[in-house]
Amino acid sequence: MTDRDHDAFRAEVRTWMQEHLRGEFAPLAGCGGLGDSRYDPKLAKRWEQELARGGWVGVGWPKEHGGRALPLSQQVVFHEEYVRAGGPGRLGHIGETLLAPTLMAFGTPPQQQRFLPGILAGTEYWAQGYSEPNAGSDLANVQTRARLEGDSWVIDGQKTWTSWAHESDWIFVVARCEAGSQRHRGLVMLLVPLRQPGVTIRPIRQITGDSEFNEVFFAGARTEASLHLGAPGEGWKVAMALLGFERGVSTLGQQAGFEREMECLVEVARRNGAARDPLMRQRIAHAAVALDALRCNALRVLAQGDEAEGAPVTREAYIAKYVWSNWRRDFGRLAADVLGAAATLPDDDPLAQKLRQVWLFSRSDTIYAGTNEIQLNLIAERALGMPR
Amino acid sequence: MDLRLTEEQRQIADSVGELLANASDSASMRRAAFDHGGFDAALWAQLGELGVCGINLPEAQGGLGLGVTELVLVAEEFGRRLACVPWLESAVLAGTAIASLGDDAVAARWLPPLASGERIVTLDIGLLECAPLAVRRSAAGWQLDGVLPAIPAAMAASSLLVPVQVDGERLLVIVALDATGMARRERANLDATRPIAEVRLTAVRVDESACLARGATVDRALDRSRQLAAVVLASEQVGVAQQCLDLTVAHLAQRVQFGKPLATFQALKHRCAQMMVDLELARSAVLGAARELDGGPDEGRRLRLTTMARSLADDAARYCTQEAIQLHGGVGFTWEYDPHLYFKRAQAARSWLGTPAEWRERFAHALLDEAAQ
Repeated sequence: MTDRDHDAFRAEVRTWMQEHLRGEFAPLAGCGGLGDSRYDPKLAKRWEQELARGGWVGVGWPKEHGGRALPLSQQVVFHEEYVRAGGPGRLGHIGETLLAPTLMAFGTPPQQQRFLPGILAGTEYWAQGYSEPNAGSDLANVQTRARLEGDSWVIDGQKTWTSWAHESDWIFVVARCEAGSQRHRGLVMLLVPLRQPGVTIRPIRQITGDSEFNEVFFAGARTEASLHLGAPGEGWKVAMALLGFERGVSTLGQQAGFEREMECLVEVARRNGAARDPLMRQRIAHAAVALDALRCNALRVLAQGDEAEGAPVTREAYIAKYVWSNWRRDFGRLAADVLGAAATLPDDDPLAQKLRQVWLFSRSDTIYAGTNEIQLNLIAERALGMPR
Repeated sequence: MDLRLTEEQRQIADSVGELLANASDSASMRRAAFDHGGFDAALWAQLGELGVCGINLPEAQGGLGLGVTELVLVAEEFGRRLACVPWLESAVLAGTAIASLGDDAVAARWLPPLASGERIVTLDIGLLECAPLAVRRSAAGWQLDGVLPAIPAAMAASSLLVPVQVDGERLLVIVALDATGMARRERANLDATRPIAEVRLTAVRVDESACLARGATVDRALDRSRQLAAVVLASEQVGVAQQCLDLTVAHLAQRVQFGKPLATFQALKHRCAQMMVDLELARSAVLGAARELDGGPDEGRRLRLTTMARSLADDAARYCTQEAIQLHGGVGFTWEYDPHLYFKRAQAARSWLGTPAEWRERFAHALLDEAAQ
């Protein structure tokens, strides 16, 4: 499929965005997401519903689940144009791209019928219950317990770094369902309602000063006995499969977001004279072409996409998370250097505000979704075949 | 942009890769580099038969008529084996320069023997600064005097392309390297796999028929050729980085210290992983640049793509060659082990065809300066 085949589709997305991201939704344009102080979650949920009415949620889902079954290359076009048009951070991301494919692969028909429509309509929001205080990079050390009691699972324990839990309705939780089990064995993946007396959500204040993620405490929290995803005891398999469903489709949307940040930096550097400094010129030029290289790498990953279901992970795919997150972290530092004193002396300039936000927020990019150090382990052991 | 390779593209890369893995393995490459002046004539003949000397040259002139993607795929194999052949100089730089002149008669005369590998042509790429050649009008053409201090592949080549300035006009002339008044002397070169010679011209006569182009065409064609060659050189650098990673991973797997293979130590694994990160990102950059260049983008895009390939590949080659020496430990500092050959090549390549920093500054001008908008 060539770029030209998608021209009509590209125009369709662009037009739809122009016609809908205005009026009451205008304040969302260009917003990063939760953690961006301008982002109003109530409005963002209405925006998700607007997208749903336009048929833009689940564009890659199979038709039998209410999706549009667009090929990978067209999904990429959607994500690119969405970001280029100023589309805000997606509140429904976790449900749509992580839980939904897992439900389709491991869920029972009643589970699918119950949960997929809410995700598709933008009316139910999901959080991810993986990390715990003692299970970060070492996820298999999960200590949260679940036991069957009559017609319910009863859950006790604590999750942490739970993005958007305070704006979500449900959480999928990896818990230990076999007492005394170790490591990857004896785990279960449960679907748990967040709004109940047994669940306490406490926001964590981040280095940006905002709170996007939370601690979630379970004290005798309950969910129906049928709401385990996959067999009890096989939670690890389900949990890992879920992480594998993000196949890099949204990467190019993210890329388009980085390109906007780059434009913003160029504008500020021109204005404040940083663009005349020879060393700064080298750094800015390097950052710009390295960003182009990220795009090339993402396209290389996607080139395997439509055809290679179940094919081994390629070398370019192994490096993808590491390279984009480190690019952004370096970019954040460059942005702060371009700002000079204004990096730590906030003002009302929206461009400077955006760069300050990137400078701080980018420090999380190399930590969440597999730290740099875990990524390098994976690359060494799986891609290079070095011994454990 | 679709980065999938066709079956034919894979086959070309594989066949050149297999040929070089045997014909330019470490022992053969060292023999060519240190005993035969950096030129493996037998390998060059084999490459000529395969059509590798005319990959991107027009089919009408005996080339394969393929694109930049095929060039970079093959270049990576050359870099990986440090193959001692003037492929970049003759097939890519001189070939592209001549083909870019847009003169059918010139192409028909000079390209077929170049595309077959029969004739090796090189050109002045300005590696070291020097005074311009003195040019005097003579009865049948011109007379050239002066010294070109660093011409790549000049010992193996039979002809030299050189731009000259006469009466305010640019000319591109081709001179036989064994013509009367031509003297060449091989220079000491730490990168023995890519030999450089000094060429001295004393009252060398060049007649009208040796003038291939005049005026603005000359620099346009040379710029075109240097820019394309810079991307091809970047791909060689990716090959350099790849071989350093492979050598290092293999060494760490067999070297035992503290009772276990070094490859089991996390500190060392992370260093190798970082090498792969830099290398694969550079490969993505080169492949992406090549694919887009095949579509004939405008000058602004070409500048940006070349800067990307050159910058990222240079980063990867520098990092991977340095790490290969360090992670080999003591033997990494010996002549016997290969890392130093790659380390030297990586450094030499930085100053060819515009340094990465020069490319970045040119691109920064386009990106940042109001005057360039």
